[in-house]
Amino acid sequence: MSETPEHKETFESFRKSFFYGTRSDMNFKFLAHLSDNQASDFFQGLLARLMDAYDSGDTGPVYEHIRQNQILSYAQEVRAIYDTGPFTPMKTPLSQTRLMLLTSSGHFVEGDDPNPLGMENMTQTQAEQQIQSFLKESPALSAIPVDTPIDRLVVRHGGYDVRGARRDMNVNLPLQRLKEMLADEVFAGLSDPIYSFVGACSQIRLLKKDGPLWVQRFTAQKVDAALLVPV
Amino acid sequence: METSGIPTVVVAVAAFEQPLKKMALPRVLLTPYLLGRPVGPVDDAQTQRSILRAALDLLVSADRPTMSHYRNS
Repeated sequence: MSETPEHKETFESFRKSFFYGTRSDMNFKFLAHLSDNQASDFFQGLLARLMDAYDSGDTGPVYEHIRQNQILSYAQEVRAIYDTGPFTPMKTPLSQTRLMLLTSSGHFVEGDDPNPLGMENMTQTQAEQQIQSFLKESPALSAIPVDTPIDRLVVRHGGYDVRGARRDMNVNLPLQRLKEMLADEVFAGLSDPIYSFVGACSQIRLLKKDGPLWVQRFTAQKVDAALLVPV
Repeated sequence: METSGIPTVVVAVAAFEQPLKKMALPRVLLTPYLLGRPVGPVDDAQTQRSILRAALDLLVSADRPTMSHYRNS
């Protein structure tokens, strides 16, 4: 929200504007969940480190400062709490393991767009604008054949900054890396296809309906273990 | 998946540590990168392979629910 003579923007509304607001930015949406004091400290620290980086040439402390504040923000969010969870021991040595990959990164194959919300050719901007609608919907599971050419992979997700994944899919869909490790015989097989979905979805539907159906599908592929990459 | 007999390992950014702790997951490897890039930086194949190797090692070695931090050596 920009200032007008009738309405002065508060610092609270400023920091919340990064969370799908007028200054929407997936890298800094965490500011919405910091207090005003925490956010003030973040900006002060960020500016100081920017100038240090100008003089030193070392931008690492800048990124580390951002990362620490992402951690602070997410630690304050209230999520579902489980006292215990299931644990299945590995039954095969890694060298004999057939591995599957599932990510919530929002990847799909060009031409196989899940057309979320019934919308064709949805852009990344539209996905961010529609995030509240996504959170009410069942997720769509995209099957990605392991021999899919890199230039046919598309990533779109209204809940995080996809620019890193567009430069290099392996940052959250490590297909190339896994194929290299397979060639090095680190494990015995990579389940084909691999899978991805947009994690910004109805969590209740994912937990109660879609997730169990997916597991039936994965189980039928006779995998020995699964690598999960939430984004 | 664990209930269906498929062992799992999660690779996630350390920003998600507290929410993931509350989910009582069997195996979690936390990485020191910004949101959206849990398996490592863009075009850093060596780090990405190292992270995946650490995740697979955790898959095999954990005998109880375990959450570990990846340390880039």
